[in-house]
Amino acid sequence: MIFAWMIVLIALSIGFVVLPLAKMSHSLPARQDSTPAVLVDQLEEVKRDQDRGLISASEATAAQQEIKRRILAAARRATSEPMLDYTSGRSALLLAAIFVPLLAIGYYASMGSPNVASLAFVDRQDERIEQRKIAELTEKLYERLITDPEGGASEGWMLLGQTYYRMGEYTQAAAAFETVSKRDDATSTTFSMMAEALIRKEKGIVTPKAISAIDRSIELNPENPAGAFYKAMAMVQLGEEAEAHALLVSHLDSADGFKPWMEAFVEQANDIAKTAGKAPISLADYAPALNGGTGPSADDVAAASEMSAEERGDFIRAMVNRLAERLEESPDDLDGWLRLANAYTVLGEQKNAIAAYESASRLLSGFAASDPRHKIVEQALYALRE
Amino acid sequence: MTPEIGHFALALAFALALVQSVLPLVGANRGNLLWMHSARTTSIGQFILVGVAFGALMRSFIVSDFTVLNVASNSHSLKPMLYKIAGTWGSHEGSLLLWVLILTLFGAAVSLFGSNIPSSLKARTLAVQAWISVGFLSFMLFTSNPFTRVFPPPTDGNDLNPLLQDVGLALHPPFLYLGYVGFSIVFSFAVAALLEGRVDAAWARWVRPWTLAAWICLTAGIVLGSWWAYYELGWGGWWFWDPVENVSFMPWLLGTALLHSAIVTEKRDAFKSWTILLAILTFSLSLLGTFVVRSGLLTSVHAFAVDPERGLYILALLALSIGGSLALYAWRAPMMEAGGIFKPISREAGLLVNNLILTTATGTVLFGTLYPLFLEAITGDKISVGAPFFNATFVPMMLPLVLFMGVGPFLSWKRADLAGVYQRLKYVALASIIATPIVWYIQKGGPLLAHFSIMLATWLLLATLREWGIRIRLFEAPISETLRRARNLPRASHGMTMAHAGLAIAMLGMIGSSAWKSEEIVFVAPGTTIEIAGFDVTFSGVERVRGPNYLADRGTLAVSRNGQSIDTLRPERRYYPIADSTTTESAIRSTLAGDLYASISEPATENAEQSDAWTLRILYEPLVNFIWLGSSLLIIGGALSLSDRRLRVGAPKRTSASSAPSTQAEKA
Repeated sequence: MIFAWMIVLIALSIGFVVLPLAKMSHSLPARQDSTPAVLVDQLEEVKRDQDRGLISASEATAAQQEIKRRILAAARRATSEPMLDYTSGRSALLLAAIFVPLLAIGYYASMGSPNVASLAFVDRQDERIEQRKIAELTEKLYERLITDPEGGASEGWMLLGQTYYRMGEYTQAAAAFETVSKRDDATSTTFSMMAEALIRKEKGIVTPKAISAIDRSIELNPENPAGAFYKAMAMVQLGEEAEAHALLVSHLDSADGFKPWMEAFVEQANDIAKTAGKAPISLADYAPALNGGTGPSADDVAAASEMSAEERGDFIRAMVNRLAERLEESPDDLDGWLRLANAYTVLGEQKNAIAAYESASRLLSGFAASDPRHKIVEQALYALRE
Repeated sequence: MTPEIGHFALALAFALALVQSVLPLVGANRGNLLWMHSARTTSIGQFILVGVAFGALMRSFIVSDFTVLNVASNSHSLKPMLYKIAGTWGSHEGSLLLWVLILTLFGAAVSLFGSNIPSSLKARTLAVQAWISVGFLSFMLFTSNPFTRVFPPPTDGNDLNPLLQDVGLALHPPFLYLGYVGFSIVFSFAVAALLEGRVDAAWARWVRPWTLAAWICLTAGIVLGSWWAYYELGWGGWWFWDPVENVSFMPWLLGTALLHSAIVTEKRDAFKSWTILLAILTFSLSLLGTFVVRSGLLTSVHAFAVDPERGLYILALLALSIGGSLALYAWRAPMMEAGGIFKPISREAGLLVNNLILTTATGTVLFGTLYPLFLEAITGDKISVGAPFFNATFVPMMLPLVLFMGVGPFLSWKRADLAGVYQRLKYVALASIIATPIVWYIQKGGPLLAHFSIMLATWLLLATLREWGIRIRLFEAPISETLRRARNLPRASHGMTMAHAGLAIAMLGMIGSSAWKSEEIVFVAPGTTIEIAGFDVTFSGVERVRGPNYLADRGTLAVSRNGQSIDTLRPERRYYPIADSTTTESAIRSTLAGDLYASISEPATENAEQSDAWTLRILYEPLVNFIWLGSSLLIIGGALSLSDRRLRVGAPKRTSASSAPSTQAEKA
């Protein structure tokens, strides 16, 4: 639908550019100069004014003489104007007609969001009912926790805080986490969530209160990525960009394999890198499987490009076999299995590909459910079994 | 989908503007009629496409589509429909879109209605207009996109500043922009004339209606803004010399000069350089106005966009357009032929004085407006230049202008007969001198400057009416003859009379309401009576009422004079919970003699709920409605003048035969 509208608009714009071409069958005067016409009108106006008695006869004569002189001057100038050409230049107009939609499409391709639907307020009734329900439940939970003589279970307060956070009620969220933070069973996560809520409440400013929560979170668990993330944010706001960058990178380095938080870390590190003048880093360095793994070396590529089609096929086959042999010896290399599965898929060896993916899938069962590789494997298996 | 169509239409309009900014210009230089004519259709195309974008944004506001960031930050589902619509131009991005819409509207209007303008001038004018389009469309697409999306959308919007939720203000920006941007086409005409190297009577005649149309809109915009400030802000003033007001006032002053200067160019082929320069400067000041407000350089009551990065972009745009056009002016203007000569006492000389005074006054306002900015940029000191500065500089400069305004229309072109003018005006002079002691007696004193100003305003009013009376031979000829003359008098003449008289009347209002204003700010408890300007105002308490999207504390004030009850005033203090802000709704008892103006602000003490004591502000402003009356006359006078056949058609009907082929071609 949207593309139909776009086509209409494009057609309209092209039409407006090329329309003058259609008019060219009519011959046009070389120059329609209306200056004399305006002057003639002035002449008549003087006469009218004189008839009405607004100006005297002598004034009128003087004015008329002056205007007549100007008419003569204008006529002289008109005859010396060059003739106009109105037959050439069609191609320029056609080029412009192509340029207009190209530029607009080029711009829109990078800046537009054709996939984002528009949602009128009245059409979002369900969403509001849902939200009201959540709000009511949250309210009930709050009532129960606050009236509990024991002070309410810590899990309950954590759940309340997270719900408030998702609702955008950062002040209440921070207060809920704070309740737990004063107890003995407060964990590193309690403090990092509290810091997060406090920072969101202040629209991204890390306040001293948030800093002390961050510090406590790191103290309880130095591995907690949320703690490190907000610590880095606080450092940036204190002007310690280099330290912040180093902290993020060291966390990425010490991580074992891909973790879901890495994306945010890399993005944050690269944001800081821009102002701190450091080289950008890539997520692929820390999570190889996401980009299909490390491919053949530059030498391999150079060698392959000089081969004939048949030679190249053998060469690739040899590489794949090498990888398969290596995996027989060390079957715990998850990324290796993914790479091998990918290679089999490209070569069209469906059975081998499925087997490789299944090996990867077995290894993956030890990883968190949020690991994106689950999805990659699932989708690939699904596609192969189709 | 709708916002995306708007976004795409905007991109197409930008591309079209790029084509229009080059092709017609090259065509005009090479004599290629086809390329020149492309501007006629592309300018209409631009208007339609920007119109589609504007419509798309407006629809998003009407249905509260919060997937559009601009709607989410500037609207709310509970807002009354009128303000949802007005929200379209309430934000920075939306107001820019309106700006460009009006810009392209004027381009399309020249294309459609300027059939008598020579091809090359029209092509160049529309190309220059497209340059401005390119500047603003790229600014919008790359820094201030009104169609930025958010997904998932927020539950509800963030409301519009409730201070801006007002009919006066909803209409104020469109009019102001029609004025500001209307001068763009005059600017384009001026730059085109410089490129073409030719300015003559015909040029001035083509330019005048556009100038006049823009001037009318700007006047209306300024008056609406002033009216809004008067009854919404709760300060009881109608002009604060606030920088945001000043930046709209400066183009008005220069636009007024331009309007008069163009008459001389048309009738006498003189003042060419003046007219061109005024056209360039008027639009430059309009751009400056946009820049100053948009960049957030000023902290003022207008709670608009604040973003220095965007400001830098506009600053570059400003430097390019103003610097470029002035450089072009410096290069080409000296080559223009000198026009008709005139004596020191003539209508031309009178209009020259008008140009000089208005330009100097504009310079003064510009200095007063920008000085604090420069000072802060250089030394870091924050100062504010307000009413005292402008009263001491601007007002004395304008008073002689009023004196000349009375005489000007009596002067004839080239050489005027001063003795004859004196004969016609001596009774007018006498009447205005007599008026002064009468006012002194009624008001029992007052500032000397006020009395002097009253004298000049009376002089202007009577002299203007006298000139009109002479033209239609009022009381000198039988009534039928007078009516016949009044009918035959060109509408432009009637328009001038109305506008000049309107200014005189507005002056009376300005003087009366500022020199003889009474003001009381008191703490009141229920039962308190305040005496002001002959009225007795009794406060009987405050109640809490609920509006569509606000809560209000409404005070009740019984007004009586000489023991007789005449009115009840109900000023409110509104609290908008969603935006978490408070506004003052003053209550006004409005009569021609003056306004009794009441507003309540803070509770007098912390625990006012208990004590029921409030801060009450009561003002009496004599003659203040004369300002709105006079301003309306200015606008109506301008409109009357615009409806004059000679201006509307541009060239007389008689010549349509000679230009018939082109007209046919255009219709095809």
